[in-house]
Amino acid sequence: MQKYTQQLLDSANQIILGKEHKIRLAVCCLLARGHLLIEDIPGVGKTTLAHTLAKLLGLHYQRIQFTSDILPADILGSSVFDGKSHEFTFHPGPVFNQMILADEINRATPKAQSALLEAMEEYQVTIEGKTYPLPKPFFVIATQNPSHQIGTFPLPESQLDRFLMRIELGYPDPKAERALLTGQNRHSLIESLPVQLPPEQLQQMQNLVTQVHTANALLDYCQAIINFTRESPEYHCGLSPRAGLALLNAAKAWAFLDQRDAVIPEDIQAVLPAVAGHRLRSGHTNSEAIVAPILDKVPAL
Amino acid sequence: MNTPHYKNILIFLLTSVGLIVLPHVANIPPAMFGFFCLMLGWRFAGIWQPQYLPTTRLLYFLMLFALILLVSHQHRGLLGRDAGTNLFILALGLKLLEIKTERDIYLVVFLAFIVAASLFLYQQSLFMAAYILAVCCVLFATLVAINSIQIHTRAALKTAAVILLQAMPMATVIFVLFPRVEAPRWMLFEEKNKAKIGLSDSMEPGSISDLGTSEELVFRVKFTGAIPPPKYRYWRGPVLSYTDGKRWTQTNSQRFKAQLAKPSYAGTAYSYTLLMEAQEKNWVFALDIPAQYASPLEQNGHYQLINPENPHKRTEYQITSYTQYNTGYLTQLEYQDSTQLPSEPSDKIKQLVSQLHGFDDKPENFISQTLNHFKTEDFHYTLTPPLMEENPIESFLFNTKRGFCSHYASAFVYLMRTAHIPARVVTGYQGGKFNTVGNFLEIQQAHAHAWAEVWIENQGWARVDPTAAVAPERIEQQLDINLLELGSDIRFETSNSQQQENWLKQMSQLWNNADYQWQRWVVNYDSSNQSDFLSSFGIHDFKAMMKWLMALVGLITVLLALLLLYQKKKAIDPALRLYQQFCQKLQPAGLIRTDREGAMDFAQRAKLALPEQTEAIDHITNAFIQLHYGRVSTREDFVTFAKLVGGFKLNDRRLE
Repeated sequence: MQKYTQQLLDSANQIILGKEHKIRLAVCCLLARGHLLIEDIPGVGKTTLAHTLAKLLGLHYQRIQFTSDILPADILGSSVFDGKSHEFTFHPGPVFNQMILADEINRATPKAQSALLEAMEEYQVTIEGKTYPLPKPFFVIATQNPSHQIGTFPLPESQLDRFLMRIELGYPDPKAERALLTGQNRHSLIESLPVQLPPEQLQQMQNLVTQVHTANALLDYCQAIINFTRESPEYHCGLSPRAGLALLNAAKAWAFLDQRDAVIPEDIQAVLPAVAGHRLRSGHTNSEAIVAPILDKVPAL
Repeated sequence: MNTPHYKNILIFLLTSVGLIVLPHVANIPPAMFGFFCLMLGWRFAGIWQPQYLPTTRLLYFLMLFALILLVSHQHRGLLGRDAGTNLFILALGLKLLEIKTERDIYLVVFLAFIVAASLFLYQQSLFMAAYILAVCCVLFATLVAINSIQIHTRAALKTAAVILLQAMPMATVIFVLFPRVEAPRWMLFEEKNKAKIGLSDSMEPGSISDLGTSEELVFRVKFTGAIPPPKYRYWRGPVLSYTDGKRWTQTNSQRFKAQLAKPSYAGTAYSYTLLMEAQEKNWVFALDIPAQYASPLEQNGHYQLINPENPHKRTEYQITSYTQYNTGYLTQLEYQDSTQLPSEPSDKIKQLVSQLHGFDDKPENFISQTLNHFKTEDFHYTLTPPLMEENPIESFLFNTKRGFCSHYASAFVYLMRTAHIPARVVTGYQGGKFNTVGNFLEIQQAHAHAWAEVWIENQGWARVDPTAAVAPERIEQQLDINLLELGSDIRFETSNSQQQENWLKQMSQLWNNADYQWQRWVVNYDSSNQSDFLSSFGIHDFKAMMKWLMALVGLITVLLALLLLYQKKKAIDPALRLYQQFCQKLQPAGLIRTDREGAMDFAQRAKLALPEQTEAIDHITNAFIQLHYGRVSTREDFVTFAKLVGGFKLNDRRLE
C-alpha cells in the first residue's frame, strides 16, 4: 500500500521542485479527507500543484476561476428551460467533479464563496429545492492570494475552518529554481503523468488512515496543545473541537505516510502549522511562526 | 467594571455577605440589622440600576447616620463584644455601597470573614460552626471567582471547598497545639445577661413548676466506670433549711463547716466528668454526695459543691461520688438550723404528727409512717396544683392534697421538724436523659427536683424523697418531656415505650452526642484541658508545645509540597520514566532533550552527535515509541525496554 504513496510523492516532486514537505502535507490532507487551502502570491505553483495531484490521482478535475463577478450559479449549475421538452432541466455546474481547483477564491464575493463552501461541508448541493449529491471522492483545493492584495474578500474564520489545512508554497530555493528554469515545460510534463493512485485505492487508504492508533499519551499531548491555545494570551481565540479533530486526523494521515500504525508527537508537530495556522490567526501567512509558541511551551513527552 | 462577569461576582459576594450577617439578627439591635439590610438591598438593586447608587455626599450622610446609630446603642460600653460587632456590621454595610474597584471587593470579603469570626463570640454550637464554615466556603468561592476568567458557580465552590479541606490538617494542629491564653476580663462575653435561669436559692412550693417542662440543658455527665441506677441519680443543689412558713431559703453553712464530721463512704465509687452549661449561680450539681473533686471546686457545709469562679462559662469537672454514705454526728448549729420552725405548729398538724406516732416512736418508724400517709391518703402528683396562698403546708396536707416535689418535700420536712427530728429540704436535679449513642446523661431543667434529708442517729443525713412515695414513676422512670404539658395528666415513659425507640429519637440522640463531643473537645478546650491532653503525649511545658507546633506545621507544609510535586510526577508512566533515564544518560555528551522534541526528533539529533551509538539509540527509541504510543505493548516489551535502557552506556572515550 505504502509504495503507491511513495510513487505518488516522487512523481509530484518531479513536477514541483524543492517542495517535498508541502507536497507531503497536501497528500496528507487528501488522505485525511480534508480540503486544502493554498495561500501564496501568484505564480509560485499553486495551480500546478493542484493540477498535478488531480492527474496523479486520476480524478475528474475542474478548475473554477473565481472573479469578483462570479455568481453561485456559475459554480453550482442552474436550471435552464428546454424548448423541446417544455420544462426546466438542471445543468450541473463545475462543482460536480471529484477534484475542484477553486482558484483565487478570495477574489469572489462572499455570496459566491459560501456557495462552494457549503458544498465542501455537506458533500451535496441544493438547487431550487432539489438536492444533488456530489461525486465521491470530492476534494477542493482552493488557492488564495494574500489578503493584503488589492481586490480580495478575505474568507471569514468560520469558513477558513472548513479547510483542513492551509499551506504556503513560497519561493523555490536557488537549486530548484535553476532546475525549473532549465527544465521542460511543466504543462507537457503534467499531461504525460500516469495515474499513480486510482480512486478506489485512495478510498481504501483513507479508511486505513482512520484506523491508525492513537495512544492515551498522544491524546494527552493533543489536548495539551488545544488547551494551551485556549488559555494562552497569545491567541485571542483557541482551537475549536472541530479543529482538534482535524489535527488528530491530519496527524493520523501523516503517520500513515510515514508507514507507522501509531501516531507520535512528531506527527502532530509536523501538521500543526498547516492545521492550526489559519484557525488561530487568519490574517497571517506565516503558520510556522504562529504555532511556534505552542511547540515551544507544550512538552512533547 | 460593568460586565456580566462583574455582575455575577457582585451577586455572589452580596449573597454570601447576607448569609454571614443573617445569624447576627439575634445579637445586634434591630435598628442596626435593619440598617444593614437596607444597605445590602440598595447595593443589590444597584447591580441592575447603577444610577441609583448613592453619591459621595449621600454616603457621608449615611455614615453620619450609622455613627449616631452606633453611639445611641453603646450604653453597654464602648469596649467589648457588642460594640465591636455592631461597628463591623455597619462598616460592612456602608462599604458595600462603595464597591468601585476590585480592591473594594477584596476588602468586603475580608470584612465578611471578620464578621463570620464574630459570630463565634455569641454562639459556639456545632450547628453554628457548620453554618459559618459553609458560608466561609461561599466567601472563598467569591475570591476564586474574582480571580478566574469565567465564573462557573459550581467549579468555584468546589475549588473553595478543596482549599478549605486542604487547610484542615494545619488548622487542627494549630488548634491542638497553640497555647491557650485565658481571656482577659473585658472579653468575658457579657454572657451574664443570657445565663440560664436555674434553680433559685429559695423555694416556695410552686416555684419549680416553671421549670417543669423546660428542655433546656443544665449539665451533662459522662461516667468513666459504673453508672448508678436511676433511683440513685440525685444531683445535689442548694440545701434549704430556713423557713418562714411559706418560703424556704438557704442558711450560711460556713458557721458550722469546720466542726462537721468527716463522712464515711461505702459501696461503689462513681467517677464522672460533669460538663456544666453556663449558669447564673455558681452551684455545681454533683451526684449525691460528692467525695472527691479538684480545685477550684469547694464544698460547703451542706455537702454542696460550689465553684467560686465565674459560673457564666461552660466548665468541665472531674468528680467522684458515693451514693452510700454516713455523714456522722450532727453539730449544734446544724441541729438548730434543721429544726427551726417559724412558729409553733398548729394543733391540726400536731395532731397529724402524733397520729403518725411522731412523738412516741423511733424517727425511722415516723418517717415510714409519714411516707405511708402520703401513699395511702388521697395525695396526687401534679405539675399544676391549686394556689395555696395562706398556710401552704396546712392547706396542702389537709385540703388540696395536690402538688409536686417541692410541696411534698416541704410538707415532709415540716412534719419532721414538728416532731423535733432534724430535717431539711434539698433541691437539685433528679434522673437525667441517657444518651445511648454517647453514653452520657443529659440533665435538663425539667429534671429539677426537691427532696428531703433527715438526720438519723448512726446514719447521719439520710435522703428521703416523699415524692417517690406518691409518684414512684417520677423517680424510677424517665419523665417524658415531649409528652408533658402543663395541665394535662402526667405520663411517664413505660419501659415498653422505651424499647420502641423511633429513628427520630435516635437522630436527636446522635445530634446531642455530637454536640456534647463538640462542646467537650472543641469549645471547652482551654489551657487546662490542653495541658491535660498534651501531657498524655508527653508534652509538658510551653517550650515543648511550641517545638511540636513548629515541627508539625513544618511537616505538614513539606508534606503538602511533596504531594504537589508528586501529583505532577504521578502522571508519568513507567515507560516514560525509563526513557527519561535514557535521556539523562545522554546528558554528559551534551545532548539535552528540549520540551518540544519528541523521541524521534531527539533520536535524530542524538544519532548525529553519537554516530557509533546509532543502533542502540534506534532500538531504545523504537521500543519506547512502541510502548508509549503503540497499539499493543506487552509486559515483555517493557522488560526488554528496561534492559535496553539499563544496558545503555556512553563510551568512556566521550566522557573524558
